[in-house]
Amino acid sequence: MSSLTMRPCGDFRTSYKQDNTIYETKTIRNVAIIAIALLCCAPFLVDAYFLTLFIQISYLGIAALGLNILVGYTGQISLGHGAFFGFGAFASAWLNMSFGIPVLLCIPIAGFLTMLVGMLFGLPASRIKGLYLAIATLAAQFILEDFFARAQWFTGGSAGSSADPVSIFGFVFNTDRSFFYIALFALVFMYIWGCNLMRSREGRAFIAVRDHYLSAEIMGIKLNKYRLLSFGVSSFYAGIGGALYAHYLGYVSAEGFTLFMSIQFLAMIIIGGLGSIKGTLMGVVFMVFLPEVLESGVGLMKMTDWGNIPMVVDGLAYIKEMAIGLVIILFLIFEPEGMAHRWAQIKNYWKFYPFSY
Amino acid sequence: MHNKLKLSSVFVCCSLAMSNHVIAQDSVFVGHLADMSGPTAFVGKNYADGVRDSLAYINENGGISGTRLESETIDYAYKVPQAIASYKKWYSRKKMVAMQGWGTADTEALISFVARDKVPVFSASYSGHLTDPTGKNPHTKKPAPYNFFYGASYSDSCRGLVQWAAEDWKKKGGKGNPKFTHLGANHPFPNAPKEACAEYATELGFDVQPAIVISMKPGDFKAQCLSLKSSGSNYGYIGNLGGSVLSLVKSCNTVGTDIQFMSNIWGGDKKIFNAAGEGIKDYIFPTMTPFWEDQAPGMKLVREISKQSDPSGQEQRVHHYIRGVCSTFYMKEAMEWAKENGGITGENIKKGMYVKKNWVPKGLEGVCLAANWSKDDHRGVNQVNIYKGNYNKGNVTAEKVSVVTLERRDDWLGY
Repeated sequence: MSSLTMRPCGDFRTSYKQDNTIYETKTIRNVAIIAIALLCCAPFLVDAYFLTLFIQISYLGIAALGLNILVGYTGQISLGHGAFFGFGAFASAWLNMSFGIPVLLCIPIAGFLTMLVGMLFGLPASRIKGLYLAIATLAAQFILEDFFARAQWFTGGSAGSSADPVSIFGFVFNTDRSFFYIALFALVFMYIWGCNLMRSREGRAFIAVRDHYLSAEIMGIKLNKYRLLSFGVSSFYAGIGGALYAHYLGYVSAEGFTLFMSIQFLAMIIIGGLGSIKGTLMGVVFMVFLPEVLESGVGLMKMTDWGNIPMVVDGLAYIKEMAIGLVIILFLIFEPEGMAHRWAQIKNYWKFYPFSY
Repeated sequence: MHNKLKLSSVFVCCSLAMSNHVIAQDSVFVGHLADMSGPTAFVGKNYADGVRDSLAYINENGGISGTRLESETIDYAYKVPQAIASYKKWYSRKKMVAMQGWGTADTEALISFVARDKVPVFSASYSGHLTDPTGKNPHTKKPAPYNFFYGASYSDSCRGLVQWAAEDWKKKGGKGNPKFTHLGANHPFPNAPKEACAEYATELGFDVQPAIVISMKPGDFKAQCLSLKSSGSNYGYIGNLGGSVLSLVKSCNTVGTDIQFMSNIWGGDKKIFNAAGEGIKDYIFPTMTPFWEDQAPGMKLVREISKQSDPSGQEQRVHHYIRGVCSTFYMKEAMEWAKENGGITGENIKKGMYVKKNWVPKGLEGVCLAANWSKDDHRGVNQVNIYKGNYNKGNVTAEKVSVVTLERRDDWLGY
């Protein structure tokens, strides 16, 4: 957001092509490519703990980007994102188990199925806004949650359903190391797709709907179409994220796709930065690492003699839970525009060093 | 600003250094996932204390035939991502050989991982589908070869209760077919025994009523109680736990239903009866262990173990605590067998679980029920002790009313 409206002076773009690049400068593009290349070596350098955290970042990040397209770019609200994530997970497992479709195909098909469901629940969005829409999407959350627990044929009910690991030409991606590459590919692919979407006619229409729906309508943008489309795209991302989650765990249970998960997705994009693609990723990284960092803090206490008594350890466990909430509140107070905004400011500071303004 | 940076970098360095510290040679690592601050903390804390005290006690008394048990308890607050991350951390960094798990959420999320990594998990999730290690039963969606639990599965407990109810109906001289209703949230844990139990109830001549959904969170359940009343149900199985059970009993008392409640293993303990007060009358619930005040020979050891976290010995533990102790001690003896037969690895511990028949851990006689695990049947315990709880104006009692031993029917395996 800030990069569009608050471009520093002296930074002129003279052609549409320049204005439309994914990466603002060549350096940023090269850094991104090198970073991905380095990540490709990660499985040989770090252990399964970090790999599993990265895989978590990947599937949550994809789903969170979907929500950011809906909330941050189109200005709609959804409290049912966790349920759509779950729908994608079950759909992919169901397609794989019931029809024997290869997993690699199941994941996108599950994405499209989730998209249909998302658009169905997004229908009210063409008529209502704000708090009313929030409550309407909340209904999606509860309806889907109940559906997961009841639909034996689809989810396996209380027994859950199993999902095969991804396999290509006989090679099975069932370890953290191998699945890491699937997760990395999916993450990069979906993020580039997200960037491209935002550069396209549709992306600009989303932003126009968000910024002033009346003006957008006067300019000839069909509000209903784009609001609904945004719901579809958002659910598609959630479905892809969920499907990856299902095939990573190998087992999907109706536990976990609760309202809490939806709220957590919202927290991720608010912390990262609404209407920012890289902000989404930052928010997800933050939310995945926060409990782990706090946990290792508790772990440090346990190493000491005076800290390793059950009373202290249990007390710390509560403090850990509270600290997560506290950090989120502090973020909202001191970084209301998210980590993406802070990152832009840090960049600007160094760009003009020592003459920052 | 600089000070802050320094401080935080020192902190990061320390945590990195600590997390890579070398583990002494003759020790093995056991992970322990617990829920002490999440939605199931009501009973999760008691069970976790049992496991943790036992692990500490085993270490103080010679470990696993001399091998130290390294362990770490992580409160994952019933959140799946934290459970997965903790598991991966333990498995990749500490070479975990076995894990003490907790509920449906973590157990089910880890089924595939533990089977592949060969890490036996001793959970407190008693879902029937965890008992089919080879996937023999067509109902089994995913075989769980490395999952164990101490106690009868939710389905088997419910079957035991239904069997008791059938006898009770005859004894009371009831006419016609008694009506049976499943009460619980629409959620994997209360739903786990729903169909299996309803099937058996029908077999025994019950008239099974449509299930009634009751939220897992405490609330006003008078509407549900009214529909119970109008359906004229005689026996109701409660699939929930904690505050939700309290609210249900109170609401139904207000409405004045004439129903015999039977709860799952997590839905009945003295803590609940004390909190519920007058409403508790002839409340039927299953247990797998004696109560704290009971004079079983093995209770001496349990009281010793309890002193690990309560040196005064004053605390009255609920029976979930004792189940945590049993779960840990079965693991301990399987590890001892593994140590003598090729070393303590996950695979050997699994084999160790199949060695003894009618197995009661040493020192816990009369506490843990005789258990039999076998390669293709993980129904360790097929006995259900049925108790009756009463409030009696503050004098909470639990008396044993029956012991039901279920057959090991093939069609019940994993279901």
